[in-house]
Amino acid sequence: MAGVKQMTSRERVLAALKREPVDRTPVCNPTSVATVELMDLVDAPFPDANREPELMARLAETSYTELGFDTIMPVFSIIQESSALGCKIQWEQKDNWPTVKMREPIWEDADDIRIPPDFLTHPDTACVTDAIRILKKRYGDEVAVVGKTMGPWSLGYHCFGVEPFLLMSLDDPDKTKQCLDRMKKATIDFGIAQIEAGADALTLPDHATGDLVSGEYYERYLKDLHIEFVERLKIPIILHICGKTVDRMDFIAQTGMAAFHYDSKNEPAESMDVVQNRISLVGNINNPETLFSKGPEAVRAEVEKNLDAGIHLIGPECAIPLQTAIENLKEIPIAVKEWTKN
Amino acid sequence: MGETGNLGSRIELVPMDGHFRDISIGLYKQESAAGPGYLIHTYSSKDGVAGRMDAIGAAMVRLGGIQKEADGLLRFPCGKGHERACRRLFIESVKQSPSEDPEARPLEILDKKSGLTMTLAPLSEGVFRVECQGESESRERRIATVAGGLAKLGDLTWSQDSEPDLVRFPCGHDHTELAGLLLIRAPNVRAVLREEESTASRGVLAAPSQQKS
Repeated sequence: MAGVKQMTSRERVLAALKREPVDRTPVCNPTSVATVELMDLVDAPFPDANREPELMARLAETSYTELGFDTIMPVFSIIQESSALGCKIQWEQKDNWPTVKMREPIWEDADDIRIPPDFLTHPDTACVTDAIRILKKRYGDEVAVVGKTMGPWSLGYHCFGVEPFLLMSLDDPDKTKQCLDRMKKATIDFGIAQIEAGADALTLPDHATGDLVSGEYYERYLKDLHIEFVERLKIPIILHICGKTVDRMDFIAQTGMAAFHYDSKNEPAESMDVVQNRISLVGNINNPETLFSKGPEAVRAEVEKNLDAGIHLIGPECAIPLQTAIENLKEIPIAVKEWTKN
Repeated sequence: MGETGNLGSRIELVPMDGHFRDISIGLYKQESAAGPGYLIHTYSSKDGVAGRMDAIGAAMVRLGGIQKEADGLLRFPCGKGHERACRRLFIESVKQSPSEDPEARPLEILDKKSGLTMTLAPLSEGVFRVECQGESESRERRIATVAGGLAKLGDLTWSQDSEPDLVRFPCGHDHTELAGLLLIRAPNVRAVLREEESTASRGVLAAPSQQKS
């Protein structure tokens, strides 16, 4: 850090994603830091802020303007492309997340999979690309704008239902691979659309989570697909998988992804040992117990633990609870800056 | 940089006010030489917001005996924080219908489970005895339930084994209005805790594998 000239937020984030020197560790939000209080501040409440580009941009930019993060991430939810694929969505109210009605799956077989011709012009995907355009126009090269495109494993849960998709992966691996291969078009097309709209990096959530899927599963079903995403989406990609994932971090580090957004169920130092500087790590401030339920001191302690371990970008482990206190979120960049000074 | 200043520690949040345009309203605790004080705040700037904040503050004063002081903060007359009780007071005050004048609750309530009328008899120095009128086999159990509920809801001290019918505000002050407010929920404190848990769990994003819908 010493000897590195002062960087803009965007420069800082992009350098950290390449594991290049930075003036300080960036504070990054690969998922969502939207809260009900921030919605009120800028009059951009859920569910409208998931569906109207100006509201989406206005709520997203509070990450930079109010909280002091180095990134702006307008794609709060994980359902935008599933909506465009035809899934039924429960849009909920201001204080809750929109969700896919996974008990009403839209596909049963690989042959059912069709990416609709209006996939990228559907209001719920176009909202994202329009919001990214608005943010790039507003912030230019000042701050990193991060987009999000869901991976095929997550889309599989949404479109087939969690249980049927997991059972298929056990009973018929070839069919599962065929399904993933067909769904990947949605991931790639939506990712490219966001790159063209001006995204500086993309989060790619693919919920092969530690509770349901083993590290071996990751290698069998997803590693090669993720390598392909790196080849075809030509900006830094931040892979996001919740839960205990240290058993698959070695595989993830072989994909060429720029970064892995990791969960607080994984120890920072152990995770760094596994990835061996082949990939950056982003995270891993605990959401339910720390950011949501404790105070700034506890947040600071977790930030420092990550910084001490050499984590490349600091941020919450996942999309934060919508009732999280603003003071806790502001503590993340404050703690990073003070740690850097000392 | 930003419009979100330091308001103190947020100790409670109503994410959507059903009585005023679904705005979020927070209760913030500030420490000062005058003792812990509470601020009601919303980040919304919708028309009429200031009036709504004033109405909630006025309801807290009437329902809980808290005082609004010159610095704009709410403080209990004993100078102590009573944080848990204040959170309950805030929640009940936001729920209070704006069309009704808030009134301090009586120290008496009908316990629907037993049919008994539960009362709080003020003794002295912040001590209340839980009593009941009516016939029921569960008299003693209901008295202990209500006393335990008051202890949980307001951080009152309670010795279940030695004096199961007595509760006490640790500050030694007679918070009669506050005791009346807490009494409403005390017979069914489990439901209150479940409601708090349910409210808190809204807005926590689950991975697709963890979702119920």
